[in-house]
Amino acid sequence: MPKVIKTKTEFEGHVFEEYVVVEGEGLSAWEPQAPLKFVGQKTPRIDGPERVTGRALYTFDVQLPGMLYGKILRSPHPHAKIKKLDTRRAAKLPGVRAVLSYKNTPKISFRQGQTFVFDEIVRYVGDEVACVIADDEEIAEDALELIEVEYELLPFVLDPEEALQPHAPKVQLSGNLLNGKPDLYERGDLDQGFAQAGVIVEGAFKTQCALHNCMETHGSVALWEGDSLTIWDSTQHIFGVRAAAAQLLGLPLNKVRVIKKYMGGGFGSKNGLGKYTVIAALGAKMTGRPVKIMLDRHEENLAAGNRPATVQHLKIGAKHDGTLTALELRASVGAGAFCTWPPSVGGPARQLYLCPNVKTEQHTVFTNTGPLSAFRAPGYVEGTFALESLMDELARKLDIDPIELRLKNYTEIDQMTGRPYSTKGLREAYERGTKLFGWDLTPRSPSLKGRGGSPPTLGEGLGERFRRGFGMASQIWSGNGSPPAYALVKLNPDGTATVISGTQDIGTGTKTVLAQVAAEELDFPIEKISVEIGDTQLGPYAPLSAGSMTVASVGPAVRVAAHDARQQLLDIAAQVLEVPRESLTICDGLLSSSAIKEPVAVKDVLEKLENFMIIGRGAREPNPEDVTVNTFGVQFAEVAVDTETGEVKVERIVAVHDSGRVINPLTLSSQIEGGIIQGLGYALCEQRVVDKATGVVINGNLENYKLPTALDIPEIVFEMVDQPDPRANNLGVKGVGEPPIIPTAAAIANAVADAIGVRISELPITRDKVLKALKKE
Amino acid sequence: MRTFEHVNAPDVQTAVALLGEASTEAIAGGTDLLGELKARLRSPQRLVNLKTLAGLQEISYSPKAGLRLGALVTLAEIERHPIIQERFPILAQAAASAATPQLRNMGTIGGNLCQKPRCWYYRNKLFECWLKGGDKCFAEDGENKYHAILGADRCHAVHPSDLAPALIALDATLRVVGPDLDGELSLEELYTKPTESRRQMTILGPGELITDIRVPIPKNGSRGVYLKTMERQSWSFALVSVAAQMNFAGERIADARVVLGGVAAIPWRARDSERILIGQRFSEGLAERAVEAAVAGAQPLRDNEYKVSLAKALVKRVIIDLCSTTD
Amino acid sequence: MATKAVRAKKLKVAIRGPGKTAIKLTVNGETHELLIEPRRTLLNALRKDLGLTGTKKACDEGTCGTCTVLLEGKPIYACMALAIECDGKSVETIESLSKDGQLHPIQRAFIAEDALQCGFCTPGQIMSVKALLDENPNPTLDDVKRVLSGNLCRCGAYPKLFQAALRAADLVRTGR
Repeated sequence: MPKVIKTKTEFEGHVFEEYVVVEGEGLSAWEPQAPLKFVGQKTPRIDGPERVTGRALYTFDVQLPGMLYGKILRSPHPHAKIKKLDTRRAAKLPGVRAVLSYKNTPKISFRQGQTFVFDEIVRYVGDEVACVIADDEEIAEDALELIEVEYELLPFVLDPEEALQPHAPKVQLSGNLLNGKPDLYERGDLDQGFAQAGVIVEGAFKTQCALHNCMETHGSVALWEGDSLTIWDSTQHIFGVRAAAAQLLGLPLNKVRVIKKYMGGGFGSKNGLGKYTVIAALGAKMTGRPVKIMLDRHEENLAAGNRPATVQHLKIGAKHDGTLTALELRASVGAGAFCTWPPSVGGPARQLYLCPNVKTEQHTVFTNTGPLSAFRAPGYVEGTFALESLMDELARKLDIDPIELRLKNYTEIDQMTGRPYSTKGLREAYERGTKLFGWDLTPRSPSLKGRGGSPPTLGEGLGERFRRGFGMASQIWSGNGSPPAYALVKLNPDGTATVISGTQDIGTGTKTVLAQVAAEELDFPIEKISVEIGDTQLGPYAPLSAGSMTVASVGPAVRVAAHDARQQLLDIAAQVLEVPRESLTICDGLLSSSAIKEPVAVKDVLEKLENFMIIGRGAREPNPEDVTVNTFGVQFAEVAVDTETGEVKVERIVAVHDSGRVINPLTLSSQIEGGIIQGLGYALCEQRVVDKATGVVINGNLENYKLPTALDIPEIVFEMVDQPDPRANNLGVKGVGEPPIIPTAAAIANAVADAIGVRISELPITRDKVLKALKKE
Repeated sequence: MRTFEHVNAPDVQTAVALLGEASTEAIAGGTDLLGELKARLRSPQRLVNLKTLAGLQEISYSPKAGLRLGALVTLAEIERHPIIQERFPILAQAAASAATPQLRNMGTIGGNLCQKPRCWYYRNKLFECWLKGGDKCFAEDGENKYHAILGADRCHAVHPSDLAPALIALDATLRVVGPDLDGELSLEELYTKPTESRRQMTILGPGELITDIRVPIPKNGSRGVYLKTMERQSWSFALVSVAAQMNFAGERIADARVVLGGVAAIPWRARDSERILIGQRFSEGLAERAVEAAVAGAQPLRDNEYKVSLAKALVKRVIIDLCSTTD
Repeated sequence: MATKAVRAKKLKVAIRGPGKTAIKLTVNGETHELLIEPRRTLLNALRKDLGLTGTKKACDEGTCGTCTVLLEGKPIYACMALAIECDGKSVETIESLSKDGQLHPIQRAFIAEDALQCGFCTPGQIMSVKALLDENPNPTLDDVKRVLSGNLCRCGAYPKLFQAALRAADLVRTGR
């Protein structure tokens, strides 16, 4: 019988309390040294062949008979009321099948009432105004030019700090501050903490607005069959899209099916339902034909989310020996026009170091710009940049090695809850990273003053104008995973197994990892395992693929389901083979027993049962309530700065992370390297640029929004602590998707400060800032 | 893109005639034009495909006549040509630094020299900027970190070509054919600051086509270098680039041509720097004076003062590089 | 328009469009006759008219590299080429690589090295590596980096892409 349990879950710095249903047998984690056949092995992706041949079908590739294309008319103004909308000329263009707007569609509330699918007020350049459905995209674009709109321009505000001023234009009727008040966290006594401090450092840190630029843009294909709606969606959460689409369109859940087989990147931007999905469904209903809406690259960079810009005023107090006494953060975050959820910029300040007196205050502010969305470790990337930059300054001021300073303030206790960490491999990560990088051998000087003129250590090929620098930064993040997450494991009559779950593989290798877990528990050859995910009609519920939680949430459910299937198989085999159940074992898909001579293939047993199919069920167990499960890590950076041209060349990144047990070292290494490379882009070149006079994003393309290219990639060396976390879940795993992006920018910024002797406290660290800093020096 | 008609040009005369008609544009590599058409900045009714023109695809070289590049030669062909690599290295360097392998396989030298600016206001349909016929340069008081520091007036966009500074440093000339003309001009003469009545960066009128680029053989002992700074290691237009070609008489600089890219609406010939260098022996002080002269009169905007520093750094480096190299 | 057409006709040139016109496109060795508007890009012709969705669209303006195909053997961006200008030419796409159910060595190397995450840029990356190895069976790491400098990967698979290209070169050279 299913058990209902009340549990606390943490997601991206927020704690929720919820009921979960647990079924299947509780399994304890494998022993750290347990001999495992598949888990822990470098395993190439089981869906690699589809991806390298072009056969993998992404949402962008779905082409249905009779399919039409939708193109969205977007507001050219940052804040306006639509006075007049005339779509008649557009509708008459040959090939145009429908034009949707607020005039001919139901008024559907969106983003918790902050707007409507088609609103009569537009709140940022790029906000949806109308949509043309046509035979082809070019025709739809031709028609967009024929739609006549008269706008009444309203005053607008782009800057979060300005938006907080009393007379600032209101982006949302309820005011520009999300929830009407700042997010406040306090522990201890801040004033007393600063009074105890021998040294106080403070600074203002700015981080830029970054754009995800997933290679596959956001989009959907909608198909109605009778009153049933099927949506192919480029999403990180098929069940979330199903629930939201059903609610907005007034459909029962069993009439909405959401499919996502392959996805070209999400990074958090595809966590929720998009307006394009609802519009595609409305357009398909109106035309009686399937409709595809894929955003183009420019729309993607206006309307599909971003990592918001932050301004962080941070102040740290410490004793002369480096012991932290007080930590204060005031942060403002530009939410854009809509926001239902603030990223936790203060997370690192609250959690990373032992400090009794902490206050964080975050203002999440509406502005007339594109809305924020989660972006790989939202809040923590931004917060870590500020915290670890200022910790570096503190180390310098106190003349303490940066690693020593961090060890001085190491905590085994989660200070937010008072609970100990289940496992914390950060100390080991520091030790191993220090060695791997050669930290103690680098010619860093705690006091950078006067280093400018001293001979820098130059590698080959570097001339006098270069200065080299070294820096490090730490990482903390949840990554614990949580219920609810469910899975089925079917044993087919031919001895193959199918893992089924309503999760999705956003490019991380989920399918492969789940196959490894099932193969391990069943003791079947991995070639016998297939994985079916990404379809709400097939699988039981699994959570969104975000928060570094997929492996740690779905993986344990798969193990339980595989275990259940295995138990059933043993029950059945004992009866078919007429041997005592206790005598039976499974190894490599063969059943053995002391009571029979030769091992018997699973297939030979199951085939005797006609087409009976064993179905194992599994649920993710609740998280432990007496400990906190977090991930940790450290990264080191080596940079060379050209003092004449301001160029920062990152030469080497060394990373050591603790994410519990490693299931697949191959796909894990892709996550680590990829996270570091995204962090590198964030540190050095990525930045959304908005024209201040008009609110228009002027670099919403891949020409001027600069992503790292093949020639920008430094040497990357990393190790995993690879200690199973037995309290975390039955696999001993923690997430790894987000941790590697968290400390990269901070480590690079610290290395740049080490190289040039001046702190650059605003990202990205571009040539203009370096040259300006050098002039100051 | 809006719809258009398409014509393959059979020969230069016909191409010129076709291009003389209204709402007609030439397409060669297409990598610049299609960007404008897709952004619906312009919607010509007809495209004339120049790629079908015979005789403009060749690279030829003779010790007497020098180098001749047909206007349809691709950047990839320039980058890889052994004689260009050996005798005209700055041209090969400039070609290799442009865009990407794929775009270099598509883009032609003629198109590269005539490309439109990359200014983000110019390229965005929401801004009716002065260069597009409006009355305002949005970059002047707007976001201008990529914009001009020298010689700007009504428009602050920069000419984006990598090849143009290199070819001007090499004293290249062009053959231009048009409805009423068939003549040679220096590449430097092709470029012009946009004016009220002619809002474009070249002097080419309707129907006028570049057919050939000719590059004289550098004097014996002449050396050149092309340096480019970008916001990432590849696939970017220059923040600032410098092409320089010098030759020496003994220890004295006999001739010098120094051309900057990314700083002005035209490839910017640093004539004052050249004058300072010519006839002199290298010294730190000489280099300093030449560097200062290169950016004399610079009028940086809010966000692009760093370009002055970059220009100075690059000019200094090319002078030191070229004067310290020994054959 | 009418007078223009008359003048153009006097010049004895064939004007095609703006409506649909017939072209011949040889894709992966097979010649297709397509009816397309002159504004059709090669990318849309491949994906929509021929159903070859292995070549991906990500920026549609020559700034990302996902649509890399080989035109007459050379890597180009299919989004920046007009299909009409490929009339009579030969195009190679990702779909040409595996033959008779056997993966091409480059594809095997990509899987073995995990040179992909979301996989959306992968067909373009593979076509760039194909172009490199067709010309230079023995590339250096630097050659690989340069040839891939026109293919963005947002997941950041670059270190693995480099290893995969070098492994693929080895597989091709040794005939494995």
